[in-house]
Amino acid sequence: MKPRITACLVYCLACAIALAFLYPFIWMVTSSFRTQEAILSTPLRLWPETFDLSGFEALGRIGGVPLRDYAVNSIVITGLATALGVCITGLGAYALHRNPRLPLFSIIRYGFLIKVMYPNMLLVIPLYFVAHKLGLLGTMLGIVLVISTVPLVFFLFVEFFRSIPVEMIEAARIDGASEWQILMRIILPLARPVVLTGILISFLLTWKQWFPIMVLSIGPETHTLPIALVSLNSEFGVNFQAIMALAALTVLPVLLLFLLTQWRVMDGFMVGGVKG
Amino acid sequence: MLYLFMAPFAISTALFGIWPIAESIRVAFTESYSALSSDPRYVGFDNFRAVLSARAFHDSLWRTLLYTALAVPINVVSALGLALLLSHPVLKHGRTAFKLAIFVPAICPETASYIVLKSMFNQNYGVVNHALLGLGLPAFGGLTTPGSAFATLLAIETWNHVGLYALIFLTNFQLLDKSIEEAAAIDGASRWQSLVNVVIPQLRPAIAVTSIYALIEFLKTFSVIYIVSRGGPNFSTSFVSHLAWMKFSSAQYGEATAIATILFVVVFVASGGAYLYARRSDHR
Repeated sequence: MKPRITACLVYCLACAIALAFLYPFIWMVTSSFRTQEAILSTPLRLWPETFDLSGFEALGRIGGVPLRDYAVNSIVITGLATALGVCITGLGAYALHRNPRLPLFSIIRYGFLIKVMYPNMLLVIPLYFVAHKLGLLGTMLGIVLVISTVPLVFFLFVEFFRSIPVEMIEAARIDGASEWQILMRIILPLARPVVLTGILISFLLTWKQWFPIMVLSIGPETHTLPIALVSLNSEFGVNFQAIMALAALTVLPVLLLFLLTQWRVMDGFMVGGVKG
Repeated sequence: MLYLFMAPFAISTALFGIWPIAESIRVAFTESYSALSSDPRYVGFDNFRAVLSARAFHDSLWRTLLYTALAVPINVVSALGLALLLSHPVLKHGRTAFKLAIFVPAICPETASYIVLKSMFNQNYGVVNHALLGLGLPAFGGLTTPGSAFATLLAIETWNHVGLYALIFLTNFQLLDKSIEEAAAIDGASRWQSLVNVVIPQLRPAIAVTSIYALIEFLKTFSVIYIVSRGGPNFSTSFVSHLAWMKFSSAQYGEATAIATILFVVVFVASGGAYLYARRSDHR
């Protein structure tokens, strides 16, 4: 009898904790369908009494820019930064792995580690100066370049390359394969799973970005959904229902993507995170 | 050829990593209004002196350190507790679902989740006070009083980070040497005894790494302040990074970058010190 009581207790506790972590999302979705008056009178409600869409309808324009533009910016910036970032960090980690003793390579490695350690919110301030000097301020290109490299993805690649036997590459070299052939014919086929994981993690983490994009933008033309949410939140006389609706629109795409690819993403976080 | 593979990474690190850091240090020694001009005026340590003698900086530094000193143990201990609970042998069904639940905050855009959590602590329509009053408990001040605002930020950030730390511990549990635990069980050790004497000592490296990681994260705390409290009420949640941002927004570039440089040194020294300490105690 006693083990059954323990099992029951453990399950109840685990369920309570899971609910504590998920409840804000449930509340967000529920509140986005409820009128302001309904939320004010009974905030606690698991299911909306009516599916009131006025919150979503109120989102037509934010800061003079149509909601659609923010969504397009989110997709374009996240997509481009992910594609670029995975290539850059993958190739960089590969080159570092192949011959870490080449001149300058250790400097680049330490440079990257210092960048990772530097408080990223504070790196944004000098990044603003640098973007200003490069003429990239307020441009999509500047934003994509700045946010493209995700440290976690770099560490993920580092761990992966460590797992490839050196003999394989050596054998190919003795057979006369060029560096390019080694990369394309041997490494890339093996790296397919880690590249996919890198793309997923990079996409999820870049979608979240808001502060560098906000600071490097000149106007709302290059803002993404998370920033639209921040601007809506700081407006005076806020429409609470609309904020919850926009929050739901910002969260649900990545939440869905994460749920569909959970194992790959969580394993990737562990491999990249435990080491990094 | 390897140089060619390295080139984009090197350029990206140089342009958007090293250059801005160097630029930040350079600007810290210039006069704010001339900082971005072609002919900057260098003023030596004036910005640092101004920052270090300002009351606002001292207050924000102590606040940041207090916050970090509370947040790191709270997060690491709760993460360990969560990991222990979720690795409990009876939890055969649904373990994955529980893991997913605690990890979801880590991948969600924090602008959204922080705004939702902020609303939950709202005095009028927030569910937190509604639930407390419903249970006959006193209302929680939320973001309206200095102490409760500080606690609210801590709660919100813990909610956001603890799942990732818990999963790191869970992964490390799976790497543990099960035979020692089994030997302890055969020798009649209770679950608690084996936890304290067998599992925790083996986890020490993981605990050290997670604590250092959390230390860096919490010293840098910014998003939650910007989105949830804006440093208020009465500057009670104005941490170092937020102070630097305020200076930057008012074009006091010299002081902003001086604060950024000081915070970087604090992060570097604290994490380096913690790393050395952890390594030394490992070799005991």
